[in-house]
Amino acid sequence: MTSVTTPAPPPPTQVATVSVRGLGKRYGRRIVLDGLDLAFGRGVTGLLGPNGAGKTTLLRCLATTLAPDTGEVRVLGLDPRSHAERTELRRRLGYLPQDPGFYPHFTAFESLDYVAILKEMTDRRERHREVRRVLGEVGLLDRAATKVRKLSGGMRQRLALAQALLGEPRLLVLDEPTVGLDPEQRLRLRALVSELGESRTVLLSTHQTEDVAALCERVVVMDAGRVLFDGTPGGLAAVAAGRVSMTGVRPEPGALFWRTADGRYRTIGEVPEGGEPAEPTVEDGYLLLVGPASERAA
Amino acid sequence: MTDWHVPAELLDRYLSGALDPVQVMSVDAHLARCGPCRTAVPPDEEWLAASWERVADEVVRPRQSLAERASRRLGVPEHLARVLVATPTLSRAWLAALAVTLGFGVAAAHLAPGGLLAFLTLAPVLPPAGIALAYGPWADPAHESYAATPMAGAPLLLLRSVAALVTALVLTGLAVPLLPVMTPMSAAWLLPALALTSGALALGTRLPLPVAAAGLAACWVGVVTAVGAATGDRSLPFQPGAQVAYGCAAALLALVLYLRRHHLDPGEPR
Repeated sequence: MTSVTTPAPPPPTQVATVSVRGLGKRYGRRIVLDGLDLAFGRGVTGLLGPNGAGKTTLLRCLATTLAPDTGEVRVLGLDPRSHAERTELRRRLGYLPQDPGFYPHFTAFESLDYVAILKEMTDRRERHREVRRVLGEVGLLDRAATKVRKLSGGMRQRLALAQALLGEPRLLVLDEPTVGLDPEQRLRLRALVSELGESRTVLLSTHQTEDVAALCERVVVMDAGRVLFDGTPGGLAAVAAGRVSMTGVRPEPGALFWRTADGRYRTIGEVPEGGEPAEPTVEDGYLLLVGPASERAA
Repeated sequence: MTDWHVPAELLDRYLSGALDPVQVMSVDAHLARCGPCRTAVPPDEEWLAASWERVADEVVRPRQSLAERASRRLGVPEHLARVLVATPTLSRAWLAALAVTLGFGVAAAHLAPGGLLAFLTLAPVLPPAGIALAYGPWADPAHESYAATPMAGAPLLLLRSVAALVTALVLTGLAVPLLPVMTPMSAAWLLPALALTSGALALGTRLPLPVAAAGLAACWVGVVTAVGAATGDRSLPFQPGAQVAYGCAAALLALVLYLRRHHLDPGEPR
């Protein structure tokens, strides 16, 4: 790894909605979370990292579906280790898991209605109104009576997001919400999430650095259960400052490069001979931290 | 049609409610016939929204299944009835498996000597098997989503357990009259069923539910067989003395379950 930064505390004006100290989780001998420290507040925070970095485990611990082995978690001022506080936290939480399942014989409406009941919405009229509201939010109102098995992958993903929005939760935990969405749907989702982030805390994990650049005020990069970077998307792009270049000739094998649409080569890492400096992106910074470029530069 | 239209001043008074009833009826009668005057009346947004809300509420709502309507008739609240009937164990596949198993037990009772004892051994295993398939990541495709709701853990599992238990008990109860003889012994499956159900749930606070249910079922069949073989009396595990023990075990295990219920929650620290 080339650059390891100390996790930054939330800005002084921002109250931490979520704070995690020394969080540890292992499955058998494999350490998934390795004494992780993190704190963040209102707005959209993006979680980036390769597969197996521990993102989903962290999100599951925050969404109270998994208990960590060690460390402290405080979410909305509540301690999920206590049963009463965990239940209270669940009343204020919206969670989109990485692999959201549905009962295929349910309609879209019935799926959400069921989750709404589990979220303690007992009054039928109010509950149905809320279900219609979230179906409208994700653009699925016209599919309310369609069986889940007949919905496309993108529609199911939107349905999963809708169930997270039920009850207007104060904290949204979204595990790869843009998976399976086409570009237009992704744009709509970004607009929705950024709007939600104005008044709530949203934590989302993604593999899409462009989602982070477009959506998040803050980005956390994880690998091997630890935080490698914690700052703004601009700060993550700045990690690659002076290490991104364009050349007209193909760089030496071993460098991380690709051919761009104009026929030139974009290289990340050591600047090859004759390379012209290029504006770094969030993706460049990310690749330098955790991608093959980090190994080459190490 | 008429050339006369409601004057602006009269319309204002109509809209502000300043007219007397006779004048209101007169304006209403005109509005019913005159399109241009109707367009001059601004819609009551609140009323309109409420009306659309009522229409939407009627048009977009889930259909109630037969089981749901039956639950409602029994006084189960609407939201709980929905949860009960959506229990994964109540799928057609499980109900068919249950019916086939009971059919096998009844057939054994008719065809084999001592077949009633086979039925009595088999029937108590069905409710815990149904419960093991009612909750958890192995049984429920939406488990991870539901695990983050306030009803996750004991409330949802116990509700689904009620649905699975009642279904298994009712179907087994319907199979009993088909047995070759009707004696008090024919009901000797009930208390073992309750004890195994409480036991599986109590053990489920420590082990995955399918492991707990399968382990207890294996123990039950093993013990019944071993006691029969050791004493030479295969009906001994179903005699009144044993029934008292099953009843006490069911109550005790239910108490253990109550005390350890928070451990059914996937978010509970181990």
